[in-house]
Amino acid sequence: MRPLLVMIKANLKMAVRNRAALFWNLVFPALFIIIFGVVFGGNEGINITVGITGESPALRDATVQAMEQTDAITVKTGPVESELQALRDGDRDVVIVFGSQPEQGQPPVELYYDETDGPNAQVAVGVVRQILLTVAQEEDPLQIAQTPVAGEDISFIDFFVPGVLAMALMNSGVIGLSTAFVAYRERGILRRIKVTPFPLTSFITARVVSQVIVAVAQALILVGLAKVLFGLKIRGNLLLILIAILIGALAFLAIGFAIAAVSRNVEVAASYSNLITFPMLFLSGVFFSLDSAPAWLRPISKVLPLSYLVDALREPMTRGQGLDAIWLDLLILLATLVVCLAVAVRFFRWEARSS
Amino acid sequence: MVSELPQAAPDASPSAPPVIEVAGLVKRYGNFVAVDGIDLSVAEGEIFGILGPNGAGKTTTLEMIEGLRQPDAGEIRVAGFDAISQSEQVRRVIGVQLQTTALFDYLTAAELIELFAGLYNVDGSPERVNALLDMVGLREKRSARVDELSGGQRQRLSIALALVNQPRVAFLDEPTTGLDPAARRDLWQTIRDVRASGTTVVLTTHHMEEAEVLCDRVAIMDRGRIIACDTPQGLIRSLGTAATIQASFVGGSLPAHALRALPGVTDSTSRDSQLELRTRDVQQSLVALLDLASRAGVTLADLRSAQPSLEDVFLALTGRQYENEETAEAEQPAPAKRLRRR
Repeated sequence: MRPLLVMIKANLKMAVRNRAALFWNLVFPALFIIIFGVVFGGNEGINITVGITGESPALRDATVQAMEQTDAITVKTGPVESELQALRDGDRDVVIVFGSQPEQGQPPVELYYDETDGPNAQVAVGVVRQILLTVAQEEDPLQIAQTPVAGEDISFIDFFVPGVLAMALMNSGVIGLSTAFVAYRERGILRRIKVTPFPLTSFITARVVSQVIVAVAQALILVGLAKVLFGLKIRGNLLLILIAILIGALAFLAIGFAIAAVSRNVEVAASYSNLITFPMLFLSGVFFSLDSAPAWLRPISKVLPLSYLVDALREPMTRGQGLDAIWLDLLILLATLVVCLAVAVRFFRWEARSS
Repeated sequence: MVSELPQAAPDASPSAPPVIEVAGLVKRYGNFVAVDGIDLSVAEGEIFGILGPNGAGKTTTLEMIEGLRQPDAGEIRVAGFDAISQSEQVRRVIGVQLQTTALFDYLTAAELIELFAGLYNVDGSPERVNALLDMVGLREKRSARVDELSGGQRQRLSIALALVNQPRVAFLDEPTTGLDPAARRDLWQTIRDVRASGTTVVLTTHHMEEAEVLCDRVAIMDRGRIIACDTPQGLIRSLGTAATIQASFVGGSLPAHALRALPGVTDSTSRDSQLELRTRDVQQSLVALLDLASRAGVTLADLRSAQPSLEDVFLALTGRQYENEETAEAEQPAPAKRLRRR
């Protein structure tokens, strides 16, 4: 046990002293949170312009009244066509269209928002839903023509932080591990370990354990930062979130090991890592939900492991969902882990290929 | 096969069993035979050198003994363990310095020694760490990070790491390559200290001078084979020449037959007032030469005698001049220039 612990301790020491890695793993995602948090606002100071139109005057007027009492919301009313045009022109964040009043119960409600507006639209839609639900709560259940969201209002930062966390786990796992490991091989450190009685499996175990410790520390720091600066709210079960972080960290470490195994040198490992992580950064819903992305784009997002980690973090953290909402995500991440480990074991080499 | 080895290596002390025994070792890479059936025996407590030009198979041999490479044929025993089937036990009793200094970044000298002590699960107390740093002369660099150390200091640290487990045998692969002459001499002393502490040292080198002044016994390797193995003195003695005496002379003649008749002289040339004697006994021959010259009224000038070196042994055994390795090492930094033997 002592050799393993000593190796883990040394790895952690090196991780803390590696300024470049520290930047990518911690400072870079922290800057994301700070910049996006400042630009798109925290829980306070949001201002949303909502267009309200359509039939069913009773509910509509109640909604207008409720929204006018909210400082964060500017209410506009007008005919359906002109409101939708205003949305297209960027003058509205959300347009609520009330359908005709049925014989019984509530009228159907449709929400329109600008999908190019990214995070702002997500926040606006969340807030509007919340108010609609509040207004209608004494009546029969309201039918909104959108996927249901959690009852609380979701701020931008609540939506954003799980994505950034997933990104940080991906970067440190894939880029950090693959380049470090290939450098160990290139510089003969793996061979040096091989002539000691310390087994390779222990060496890799030590590496994985220390990376996971770093990942959890990373998560705590980033979440803490978002909480202190922007009032991040975490809604779901903390243990479940921790499990998602662990499984996600392991899956991306396995990807890193697979890249390390097939890469000839550090430059190649860095290229492969960037090739894999860069598309994921934009197509996995880190910064904006892909629910409204074009149909042809969605299947691509479905094959990217980061999509599943983003979902596995966002569902519990932002929406307060439980295991039933993310078990498939976790399963797919575990499958990624197994496949990539198999590749890593198959192509593992102790020595740099001689040129 | 193995039992015959002590006879194969006559200089191995008969009292102590050899700490390394190698028999019929072969390593091929495709059609290229890197190591071509070598036998070796290293006695406990000696500094054993494997000497040869680049590409002779020195490192491949060393790495097979260390367990880093699988031999295609042959037997290796280290400290009584079979190097292939008992590699775990072998790794516990050997210390290794690889040709490339492989050290973790971001750790200090002391932390690296501590780490390796942990990996071997041996004493890594501050006292022990300091003792190892003292042995390689790095005590004042205790808290320096690896990237703050010079090339020579890294080599020393790398040797300290090879000694962490108090190994029976330390393998040093070209420990002085790339060092300037002063650093090289310091490292020789360190290696002698290592041996004095009870560890057998096996090292490779392509520096003839290094093998000659540092090693108790030297195996000369060329093209995958060991072409000679003895003490440096023994190897040189095998040439049958103790020294070469050269001089120019004026004021008379010194016929070759007269020179050849001088005591100790085995061969002589005399041409254009230049003479060269090969002798078994430099003192006896020199006294007689001076006597002969004064009786013949000849004045000797530029009188000098040179000891034969391992380079002469290599030349005699292979018929080839020993290559100047520096041309093959263009990537070496400038201070790495080898001390020329005069």
